[in-house]
Amino acid sequence: MLEIMDTPFNPGERLNAFSEKCKDAGAIASFIGLVRGQKGEVSELRLESYPGVTEQGIEQAIEQAKKRWPLTTALVIHRIGSMGVGEPIVLVATASKHRRAAFESCDFLMDYLKTDAVFWKHQIGPDGAKWIEPREQDYQDKNRWS
Amino acid sequence: MLKIYYFGRLSDRAGRREESLALPVGVNSVSTLKNWLDTKHGLGGALQDKSVKTMINQSLIHKDIVLQGDEEIGFLPPVGGG
Repeated sequence: MLEIMDTPFNPGERLNAFSEKCKDAGAIASFIGLVRGQKGEVSELRLESYPGVTEQGIEQAIEQAKKRWPLTTALVIHRIGSMGVGEPIVLVATASKHRRAAFESCDFLMDYLKTDAVFWKHQIGPDGAKWIEPREQDYQDKNRWS
Repeated sequence: MLKIYYFGRLSDRAGRREESLALPVGVNSVSTLKNWLDTKHGLGGALQDKSVKTMINQSLIHKDIVLQGDEEIGFLPPVGGG
């Protein structure tokens, strides 16, 4: 399941709704990414996507996760548009019979989202705006799965 | 008409996020289009940067291809969400 939204979402509500649909799973792992304030350096984050391309890439990553781990189901909710400090950017949740598959597939999907998902981040703060691209550590994290 | 999208930092360099144009005279491929756009918008070689990927009709291309003049072209600097 994938949703790309240009309005805020409530991760707690969405996770509860997800867990209601996974009654036959024994484990759910989730990750919520928030806009970091970075001690006042950031006041706003703007994310843009390439409609169509972004969705297709994430759907493929979810399919890869399902082939690699025995998942009951998986959920990705990702924001685009303007977000304030502390606002959720992303929610990933994976459900499986056992915890290891849920943990690992959630981690895998986040690594995909950080380095390969078709988004661009524009960080705005008191010193102006700059485009944020993945760090070397993000690419190293992703390469753990290859 | 070509439909061209500039994403991320490239939209700052180009001063626009998208544009539509007819295939310019002397332009018949992705590489010649990149050179033409570079000159037109003063991009300083930004489209030729190895980190910038090109999509034609929403598919990534890995080599130069001939253009018909009705393609959607996306120029993608390094991506990342989360």
